Amino acid sequence: MRRFLTLAAVIVTALLLQTTVFADVRLLGARPELMYLLTIVFAMLEGPSSGAITGFAGGMAQDFLLNQPKGITALTLTLLGYAVGLLRQYVVSPSPVLPVFVVAGGTFCGVLFYGLVSFLLGQFNSNALYLFRVAALSAVYNAILTPLVYPVLRRAAEASRSQRVVRW
Amino acid sequence: MVALVSVSLLTITVDYREGNNGPLASLGRVALTVISPLQEVMSKVTHPVGNFFSTLVRLPAIRAENERLKNHVAELESQVATGATDEQRLHELEGLLEVTQSLGPNVRTTAAQVIASGVSNFEWTITINKGSNQGIKLDLPVVASGKRLVGHVIRVAPDSSIVQLIVDPDSAVAGRLAISRTTGLLTGQGDRDMRMGLVDTSIEVQAGEQVVTAGYRIPGGAQSLYPPGILIGTVSHVVPDVAALEKFITVAPAVDFSSLDIVLVVLSGGPR
Repeated sequence: MRRFLTLAAVIVTALLLQTTVFADVRLLGARPELMYLLTIVFAMLEGPSSGAITGFAGGMAQDFLLNQPKGITALTLTLLGYAVGLLRQYVVSPSPVLPVFVVAGGTFCGVLFYGLVSFLLGQFNSNALYLFRVAALSAVYNAILTPLVYPVLRRAAEASRSQRVVRW
Repeated sequence: MVALVSVSLLTITVDYREGNNGPLASLGRVALTVISPLQEVMSKVTHPVGNFFSTLVRLPAIRAENERLKNHVAELESQVATGATDEQRLHELEGLLEVTQSLGPNVRTTAAQVIASGVSNFEWTITINKGSNQGIKLDLPVVASGKRLVGHVIRVAPDSSIVQLIVDPDSAVAGRLAISRTTGLLTGQGDRDMRMGLVDTSIEVQAGEQVVTAGYRIPGGAQSLYPPGILIGTVSHVVPDVAALEKFITVAPAVDFSSLDIVLVVLSGGPR
Protein backbone atom coordinates (compact mmCIF):
# COMPACT_ATOMS: atom_id res chain seq x y z
CA MET A 1 0.00 0.00 0.00
CA ARG A 2 2.75 2.36 0.99
CA ARG A 3 4.62 1.45 -2.16
CA PHE A 4 1.58 2.14 -4.26
CA LEU A 5 1.06 5.57 -2.69
CA THR A 6 4.70 6.52 -3.15
CA LEU A 7 4.60 5.50 -6.79
CA ALA A 8 1.36 7.42 -7.41
CA ALA A 9 2.72 10.56 -5.72
CA VAL A 10 5.97 10.43 -7.69
CA ILE A 11 4.15 9.92 -11.00
CA VAL A 12 1.64 12.75 -10.42
CA THR A 13 4.46 15.09 -9.38
CA ALA A 14 6.42 14.22 -12.50
CA LEU A 15 3.39 14.86 -14.73
CA LEU A 16 2.71 18.21 -13.10
CA LEU A 17 6.32 19.34 -13.38
CA GLN A 18 6.43 18.17 -16.99
CA THR A 19 3.37 20.20 -18.02
CA THR A 20 4.02 23.36 -16.05
CA VAL A 21 7.60 24.16 -15.04
CA PHE A 22 9.39 22.34 -17.85
CA ALA A 23 7.01 23.76 -20.43
CA ASP A 24 8.77 27.06 -19.74
CA VAL A 25 12.28 25.80 -19.09
CA ARG A 26 13.37 24.17 -22.33
CA LEU A 27 16.73 23.06 -23.64
CA LEU A 28 16.99 24.26 -27.26
CA GLY A 29 13.24 23.86 -27.64
CA ALA A 30 12.96 20.40 -26.10
CA ARG A 31 11.66 19.54 -22.68
CA PRO A 32 12.88 16.68 -20.53
CA GLU A 33 11.03 13.36 -20.44
CA LEU A 34 10.51 13.05 -16.70
CA MET A 35 8.55 9.81 -16.97
CA TYR A 36 11.47 8.16 -18.78
CA LEU A 37 13.87 9.48 -16.16
CA LEU A 38 11.67 8.17 -13.37
CA THR A 39 11.32 4.71 -14.93
CA ILE A 40 15.05 4.34 -15.55
CA VAL A 41 16.03 5.43 -12.05
CA PHE A 42 13.49 3.12 -10.38
CA ALA A 43 14.62 0.25 -12.61
CA MET A 44 18.22 0.85 -11.58
CA LEU A 45 17.35 0.97 -7.89
CA GLU A 46 14.78 -1.81 -7.68
CA GLY A 47 15.42 -4.18 -10.57
CA PRO A 48 13.57 -5.26 -13.71
CA SER A 49 10.11 -6.10 -12.36
CA SER A 50 9.77 -2.88 -10.38
CA GLY A 51 11.12 -0.98 -13.36
CA ALA A 52 8.50 -2.54 -15.62
CA ILE A 53 5.69 -1.76 -13.17
CA THR A 54 6.83 1.84 -12.69
CA GLY A 55 7.15 2.27 -16.43
CA PHE A 56 3.71 0.82 -17.08
CA ALA A 57 1.98 2.98 -14.45
CA GLY A 58 3.81 6.17 -15.40
CA GLY A 59 3.38 5.55 -19.11
CA MET A 60 -0.34 4.89 -18.75
CA ALA A 61 -0.77 8.07 -16.70
CA GLN A 62 1.02 10.10 -19.36
CA ASP A 63 -0.88 8.42 -22.20
CA PHE A 64 -4.19 9.62 -20.83
CA LEU A 65 -3.06 13.22 -21.27
CA LEU A 66 -1.92 12.69 -24.85
CA ASN A 67 -3.87 12.89 -28.07
CA GLN A 68 -2.55 9.54 -29.28
CA PRO A 69 -3.75 5.96 -29.07
CA LYS A 70 -3.32 5.27 -25.39
CA GLY A 71 -0.75 2.67 -24.42
CA ILE A 72 2.21 3.62 -26.60
CA THR A 73 4.08 5.34 -23.79
CA ALA A 74 3.08 2.54 -21.41
CA LEU A 75 4.51 -0.08 -23.77
CA THR A 76 7.69 1.91 -24.30
CA LEU A 77 8.30 2.51 -20.62
CA THR A 78 7.42 -1.06 -19.54
CA LEU A 79 10.06 -2.41 -21.90
CA LEU A 80 12.50 0.34 -20.98
CA GLY A 81 12.10 -0.28 -17.24
CA TYR A 82 12.56 -4.01 -17.71
CA ALA A 83 15.59 -3.61 -19.99
CA VAL A 84 17.36 -1.14 -17.73
CA GLY A 85 16.66 -3.26 -14.66
CA LEU A 86 18.04 -6.32 -16.41
CA LEU A 87 21.09 -4.46 -17.68
CA ARG A 88 21.84 -3.09 -14.23
CA GLN A 89 22.34 -6.60 -12.84
CA TYR A 90 25.25 -7.18 -15.18
CA VAL A 91 27.01 -3.88 -14.54
CA VAL A 92 29.26 -3.84 -11.51
CA SER A 93 30.49 -0.29 -11.44
CA PRO A 94 30.44 1.67 -8.21
CA SER A 95 30.84 4.90 -10.16
CA PRO A 96 28.45 7.63 -8.99
CA VAL A 97 28.13 9.01 -12.51
CA LEU A 98 26.82 5.69 -13.84
CA PRO A 99 23.13 6.71 -13.43
CA VAL A 100 23.75 9.81 -15.56
CA PHE A 101 24.95 7.74 -18.49
CA VAL A 102 22.30 5.06 -18.09
CA VAL A 103 19.59 7.73 -18.00
CA ALA A 104 20.97 9.44 -21.09
CA GLY A 105 21.24 6.20 -23.08
CA GLY A 106 17.91 4.87 -21.83
CA THR A 107 16.04 8.07 -22.64
CA PHE A 108 17.56 8.25 -26.10
CA CYS A 109 16.59 4.65 -26.95
CA GLY A 110 13.18 5.02 -25.29
CA VAL A 111 12.20 8.13 -27.24
CA LEU A 112 13.34 6.51 -30.49
CA PHE A 113 11.28 3.42 -29.70
CA TYR A 114 8.25 5.59 -28.92
CA GLY A 115 8.69 7.39 -32.24
CA LEU A 116 8.98 4.06 -34.04
CA VAL A 117 5.80 2.63 -32.52
CA SER A 118 3.75 5.75 -33.21
CA PHE A 119 5.16 5.78 -36.75
CA LEU A 120 4.03 2.18 -37.24
CA LEU A 121 0.56 3.20 -36.07
CA GLY A 122 0.53 6.08 -38.53
CA GLN A 123 0.43 8.61 -35.71
CA PHE A 124 3.83 10.18 -36.25
CA ASN A 125 3.75 13.38 -38.24
CA SER A 126 7.19 14.87 -37.67
CA ASN A 127 10.21 13.76 -39.66
CA ALA A 128 12.99 11.42 -38.55
CA LEU A 129 15.45 14.26 -38.09
CA TYR A 130 13.17 15.89 -35.55
CA LEU A 131 12.76 12.58 -33.74
CA PHE A 132 16.53 12.15 -33.41
CA ARG A 133 16.90 15.76 -32.29
CA VAL A 134 14.27 15.40 -29.59
CA ALA A 135 15.66 12.04 -28.49
CA ALA A 136 19.16 13.51 -28.15
CA LEU A 137 18.06 16.75 -26.48
CA SER A 138 15.72 15.12 -23.98
CA ALA A 139 18.43 12.54 -23.21
CA VAL A 140 20.89 15.34 -22.44
CA TYR A 141 18.26 17.22 -20.43
CA ASN A 142 17.36 14.10 -18.44
CA ALA A 143 21.05 13.45 -17.82
CA ILE A 144 21.45 16.97 -16.45
CA LEU A 145 18.46 16.45 -14.15
CA THR A 146 19.64 13.04 -12.91
CA PRO A 147 22.02 14.29 -10.18
CA LEU A 148 19.17 16.38 -8.77
CA VAL A 149 16.44 13.75 -9.01
CA TYR A 150 18.36 10.55 -8.26
CA PRO A 151 18.87 11.14 -4.50
CA VAL A 152 15.22 12.11 -4.05
CA LEU A 153 13.97 9.05 -5.89
CA ARG A 154 16.38 6.77 -4.02
CA ARG A 155 14.98 8.06 -0.73
CA ALA A 156 11.43 7.53 -1.96
CA ALA A 157 12.26 4.00 -3.11
CA GLU A 158 13.98 3.09 0.16
CA ALA A 159 11.20 4.53 2.30
CA SER A 160 8.61 2.58 0.36
CA ARG A 161 10.36 -0.77 0.69
CA SER A 162 8.70 -3.35 2.87
CA GLN A 163 9.76 -2.87 6.48
CA ARG A 164 9.17 -6.49 7.45
CA VAL A 165 12.80 -7.48 7.44
CA VAL A 166 13.47 -10.55 9.56
CA ARG A 167 16.66 -10.12 11.53
CA TRP A 168 18.33 -12.88 13.52
CA MET B 1 6.27 -8.17 -17.44
CA VAL B 2 4.57 -10.15 -20.21
CA ALA B 3 1.23 -9.21 -18.72
CA LEU B 4 2.07 -5.52 -18.67
CA VAL B 5 3.26 -5.57 -22.28
CA SER B 6 0.10 -7.37 -23.37
CA VAL B 7 -2.07 -4.89 -21.51
CA SER B 8 -0.23 -2.02 -23.24
CA LEU B 9 -0.69 -3.63 -26.63
CA LEU B 10 -4.35 -4.33 -25.89
CA THR B 11 -4.89 -0.72 -24.83
CA ILE B 12 -3.27 0.58 -28.00
CA THR B 13 -5.44 -1.70 -30.13
CA VAL B 14 -8.69 -0.93 -28.35
CA ASP B 15 -8.10 2.83 -28.32
CA TYR B 16 -6.90 2.86 -31.91
CA ARG B 17 -10.11 1.19 -33.04
CA GLU B 18 -12.54 3.02 -30.79
CA GLY B 19 -11.29 6.50 -31.54
CA ASN B 20 -12.89 9.30 -29.59
CA ASN B 21 -15.98 7.49 -28.32
CA GLY B 22 -14.65 4.39 -26.57
CA PRO B 23 -14.38 3.70 -22.87
CA LEU B 24 -10.70 4.61 -22.90
CA ALA B 25 -11.42 8.07 -24.25
CA SER B 26 -13.77 8.70 -21.34
CA LEU B 27 -11.08 7.46 -18.97
CA GLY B 28 -8.86 10.07 -20.62
CA ARG B 29 -11.43 12.73 -19.78
CA VAL B 30 -11.45 11.54 -16.17
CA ALA B 31 -7.67 11.86 -16.07
CA LEU B 32 -7.92 15.39 -17.44
CA THR B 33 -10.54 16.29 -14.85
CA VAL B 34 -8.38 15.01 -12.04
CA ILE B 35 -5.12 16.56 -13.12
CA SER B 36 -6.25 20.00 -14.33
CA PRO B 37 -7.00 21.57 -10.91
CA LEU B 38 -3.58 20.40 -9.77
CA GLN B 39 -2.03 21.86 -12.90
CA GLU B 40 -3.78 25.16 -12.28
CA VAL B 41 -2.36 25.43 -8.77
CA MET B 42 1.02 24.22 -9.93
CA SER B 43 1.32 26.72 -12.76
CA LYS B 44 0.26 29.53 -10.43
CA VAL B 45 3.04 28.56 -8.06
CA THR B 46 5.73 27.57 -10.50
CA HIS B 47 5.27 30.08 -13.28
CA PRO B 48 7.53 32.59 -11.50
CA VAL B 49 10.04 29.81 -10.84
CA GLY B 50 9.95 28.71 -14.45
CA ASN B 51 10.37 32.30 -15.54
CA PHE B 52 13.37 32.57 -13.26
CA PHE B 53 15.10 29.58 -14.81
CA SER B 54 14.28 30.49 -18.37
CA THR B 55 15.64 33.93 -17.54
CA LEU B 56 18.91 32.32 -16.46
CA VAL B 57 19.19 30.59 -19.82
CA ARG B 58 18.64 33.83 -21.69
CA LEU B 59 20.93 35.86 -19.44
CA PRO B 60 23.38 37.17 -22.10
CA ALA B 61 20.57 38.39 -24.31
CA ILE B 62 18.89 39.93 -21.31
CA ARG B 63 22.05 41.79 -20.32
CA ALA B 64 22.19 43.44 -23.72
CA GLU B 65 18.51 44.22 -23.52
CA ASN B 66 18.98 45.67 -20.05
CA GLU B 67 21.60 48.05 -21.41
CA ARG B 68 19.28 49.14 -24.17
CA LEU B 69 16.33 49.53 -21.85
CA LYS B 70 18.32 51.62 -19.39
CA ASN B 71 19.03 54.10 -22.15
CA HIS B 72 15.40 54.01 -23.06
CA VAL B 73 14.34 54.69 -19.48
CA ALA B 74 16.66 57.66 -19.29
CA GLU B 75 14.99 59.03 -22.38
CA LEU B 76 11.53 58.42 -21.10
CA GLU B 77 12.08 59.76 -17.62
CA SER B 78 11.65 63.25 -18.95
CA GLN B 79 8.18 62.40 -20.14
CA VAL B 80 6.78 60.88 -16.97
CA ALA B 81 3.64 58.92 -17.60
CA THR B 82 1.21 58.35 -14.78
CA GLY B 83 -0.99 55.31 -14.66
CA ALA B 84 1.02 53.50 -17.28
CA THR B 85 0.22 50.06 -15.96
CA ASP B 86 -3.50 50.78 -15.81
CA GLU B 87 -3.33 51.92 -19.35
CA GLN B 88 -1.54 48.78 -20.39
CA ARG B 89 -4.08 46.51 -18.75
CA LEU B 90 -6.84 48.51 -20.36
CA HIS B 91 -5.05 48.09 -23.65
CA GLU B 92 -4.92 44.32 -23.24
CA LEU B 93 -8.60 44.06 -22.38
CA GLU B 94 -9.50 46.40 -25.20
CA GLY B 95 -7.57 44.09 -27.47
CA LEU B 96 -9.69 41.13 -26.40
CA LEU B 97 -12.89 43.19 -26.64
CA GLU B 98 -11.93 44.29 -30.10
CA VAL B 99 -11.58 40.66 -31.13
CA THR B 100 -15.03 39.90 -29.78
CA GLN B 101 -16.57 42.83 -31.63
CA SER B 102 -14.76 42.28 -34.89
CA LEU B 103 -16.03 38.72 -35.06
CA GLY B 104 -19.56 40.05 -35.49
CA PRO B 105 -22.57 40.74 -33.28
CA ASN B 106 -23.83 37.17 -33.09
CA VAL B 107 -20.58 35.64 -31.93
CA ARG B 108 -20.31 34.59 -28.31
CA THR B 109 -16.87 34.17 -26.83
CA THR B 110 -15.45 33.31 -23.44
CA ALA B 111 -12.03 34.16 -22.04
CA ALA B 112 -9.99 31.35 -20.52
CA GLN B 113 -6.71 31.10 -18.70
CA VAL B 114 -3.91 28.85 -19.95
CA ILE B 115 -3.01 26.51 -17.10
CA ALA B 116 -0.59 24.01 -18.62
CA SER B 117 1.02 22.91 -21.84
CA GLY B 118 1.30 19.51 -23.51
CA VAL B 119 3.09 16.64 -21.84
CA SER B 120 5.13 15.37 -24.76
CA ASN B 121 7.77 16.70 -27.12
CA PHE B 122 5.71 15.54 -30.08
CA GLU B 123 2.49 17.42 -29.37
CA TRP B 124 1.81 21.13 -29.26
CA THR B 125 -1.20 21.66 -27.01
CA ILE B 126 -2.28 23.84 -24.11
CA THR B 127 -4.77 23.19 -21.30
CA ILE B 128 -7.27 25.95 -20.49
CA ASN B 129 -9.35 26.34 -17.33
CA LYS B 130 -12.80 26.19 -18.96
CA GLY B 131 -14.69 23.08 -20.02
CA SER B 132 -18.11 21.71 -20.87
CA ASN B 133 -19.64 23.39 -17.78
CA GLN B 134 -18.74 26.75 -19.34
CA GLY B 135 -20.07 25.78 -22.76
CA ILE B 136 -16.82 24.62 -24.36
CA LYS B 137 -17.33 21.99 -27.07
CA LEU B 138 -15.10 20.00 -29.39
CA ASP B 139 -13.57 21.83 -32.39
CA LEU B 140 -14.32 25.35 -31.15
CA PRO B 141 -11.77 27.88 -32.42
CA VAL B 142 -9.44 29.64 -29.96
CA VAL B 143 -7.91 33.09 -30.58
CA ALA B 144 -5.58 35.44 -28.73
CA SER B 145 -5.78 39.23 -28.36
CA GLY B 146 -5.11 41.11 -31.57
CA LYS B 147 -7.35 38.61 -33.40
CA ARG B 148 -4.55 36.10 -33.79
CA LEU B 149 -5.32 32.41 -34.26
CA VAL B 150 -4.24 29.96 -31.54
CA GLY B 151 -5.91 26.66 -32.43
CA HIS B 152 -8.99 24.58 -31.69
CA VAL B 153 -10.38 22.48 -28.85
CA ILE B 154 -9.62 18.77 -29.17
CA ARG B 155 -10.66 17.43 -25.76
CA VAL B 156 -13.16 18.62 -23.19
CA ALA B 157 -13.51 17.81 -19.48
CA PRO B 158 -16.12 19.42 -17.17
CA ASP B 159 -13.89 22.30 -16.07
CA SER B 160 -10.93 22.22 -18.41
CA SER B 161 -10.10 21.42 -22.00
CA ILE B 162 -7.13 20.80 -24.27
CA VAL B 163 -6.46 23.05 -27.25
CA GLN B 164 -4.40 21.89 -30.20
CA LEU B 165 -2.13 24.71 -31.38
CA ILE B 166 -1.89 25.52 -35.08
CA VAL B 167 1.82 24.57 -35.01
CA ASP B 168 0.99 20.96 -34.05
CA PRO B 169 1.92 18.60 -36.91
CA ASP B 170 -1.66 17.24 -36.81
CA SER B 171 -3.15 20.69 -37.37
CA ALA B 172 -4.16 22.01 -40.79
CA VAL B 173 -5.74 25.43 -41.39
CA ALA B 174 -7.08 26.93 -44.59
CA GLY B 175 -5.27 30.25 -44.98
CA ARG B 176 -5.56 33.21 -47.34
CA LEU B 177 -2.67 35.41 -48.40
CA ALA B 178 -3.59 39.02 -47.64
CA ILE B 179 -2.34 40.65 -50.84
CA SER B 180 -2.88 38.08 -53.56
CA ARG B 181 -6.07 36.70 -51.90
CA THR B 182 -4.93 33.20 -52.80
CA THR B 183 -5.78 30.36 -50.46
CA GLY B 184 -3.57 27.53 -49.28
CA LEU B 185 -3.33 24.94 -46.56
CA LEU B 186 -1.16 25.63 -43.51
CA THR B 187 0.19 22.61 -41.67
CA GLY B 188 2.05 22.80 -38.38
CA GLN B 189 5.68 21.79 -38.13
CA GLY B 190 6.21 22.09 -34.39
CA ASP B 191 9.00 24.44 -33.43
CA ARG B 192 9.69 25.42 -37.00
CA ASP B 193 7.53 27.81 -39.01
CA MET B 194 4.31 26.47 -40.48
CA ARG B 195 4.32 25.25 -44.04
CA MET B 196 1.81 26.66 -46.50
CA GLY B 197 0.97 24.27 -49.28
CA LEU B 198 -1.30 24.08 -52.32
CA VAL B 199 -0.38 27.58 -53.51
CA ASP B 200 -0.07 28.06 -57.26
CA THR B 201 3.48 28.74 -58.51
CA SER B 202 2.29 31.59 -60.73
CA ILE B 203 1.26 33.66 -57.72
CA GLU B 204 3.68 36.36 -56.57
CA VAL B 205 4.34 35.99 -52.82
CA GLN B 206 6.65 38.21 -50.76
CA ALA B 207 8.17 37.52 -47.34
CA GLY B 208 6.33 39.60 -44.74
CA GLU B 209 2.92 39.16 -46.34
CA GLN B 210 0.19 38.41 -43.82
CA VAL B 211 -1.83 35.19 -43.84
CA VAL B 212 -5.37 35.11 -42.43
CA THR B 213 -7.86 32.27 -42.04
CA ALA B 214 -10.05 31.54 -45.05
CA GLY B 215 -13.56 30.68 -43.96
CA TYR B 216 -15.40 28.42 -46.35
CA ARG B 217 -18.67 26.55 -46.52
CA ILE B 218 -19.50 23.82 -48.96
CA PRO B 219 -23.27 23.92 -49.48
CA GLY B 220 -24.83 21.10 -47.53
CA GLY B 221 -21.43 19.85 -46.48
CA ALA B 222 -18.33 20.71 -44.57
CA GLN B 223 -17.50 24.16 -43.32
CA SER B 224 -14.26 25.56 -42.00
CA LEU B 225 -13.41 25.18 -38.34
CA TYR B 226 -12.27 28.79 -38.03
CA PRO B 227 -14.11 32.03 -38.79
CA PRO B 228 -12.59 33.99 -41.71
CA GLY B 229 -10.18 36.88 -41.34
CA ILE B 230 -8.25 35.82 -38.23
CA LEU B 231 -4.52 36.49 -38.44
CA ILE B 232 -2.46 33.30 -38.62
CA GLY B 233 1.01 34.75 -39.21
CA THR B 234 3.34 36.33 -41.72
CA VAL B 235 5.19 34.71 -44.61
CA SER B 236 8.77 34.16 -43.47
CA HIS B 237 10.28 32.41 -46.45
CA VAL B 238 9.46 31.72 -50.06
CA VAL B 239 11.58 29.20 -51.92
CA PRO B 240 11.72 30.08 -55.60
CA ASP B 241 11.30 26.82 -57.45
CA VAL B 242 10.10 27.07 -61.01
CA ALA B 243 9.89 23.33 -61.54
CA ALA B 244 7.64 22.51 -58.59
CA LEU B 245 3.87 22.21 -58.85
CA GLU B 246 3.24 24.29 -55.78
CA LYS B 247 5.09 27.07 -54.03
CA PHE B 248 7.12 26.27 -50.92
CA ILE B 249 6.12 28.90 -48.38
CA THR B 250 6.80 28.99 -44.65
CA VAL B 251 4.70 31.11 -42.33
CA ALA B 252 5.78 32.36 -38.89
CA PRO B 253 2.80 32.20 -36.48
CA ALA B 254 1.57 35.54 -35.12
CA VAL B 255 1.26 34.17 -31.59
CA ASP B 256 4.20 33.43 -29.30
CA PHE B 257 2.82 30.18 -27.91
CA SER B 258 5.26 30.02 -25.01
CA SER B 259 3.91 33.22 -23.45
CA LEU B 260 0.17 32.70 -23.88
CA ASP B 261 -1.76 33.71 -20.78
CA ILE B 262 -5.40 34.46 -21.62
CA VAL B 263 -7.18 33.22 -24.73
CA LEU B 264 -10.65 33.64 -26.18
CA VAL B 265 -12.76 30.63 -27.12
CA VAL B 266 -15.28 31.40 -29.85
CA LEU B 267 -18.40 29.66 -28.60
CA SER B 268 -20.92 30.07 -31.40
CA GLY B 269 -22.59 32.11 -34.05
CA GLY B 270 -21.36 34.45 -36.73
CA PRO B 271 -20.37 33.59 -40.26
CA ARG B 272 -18.10 30.62 -40.45
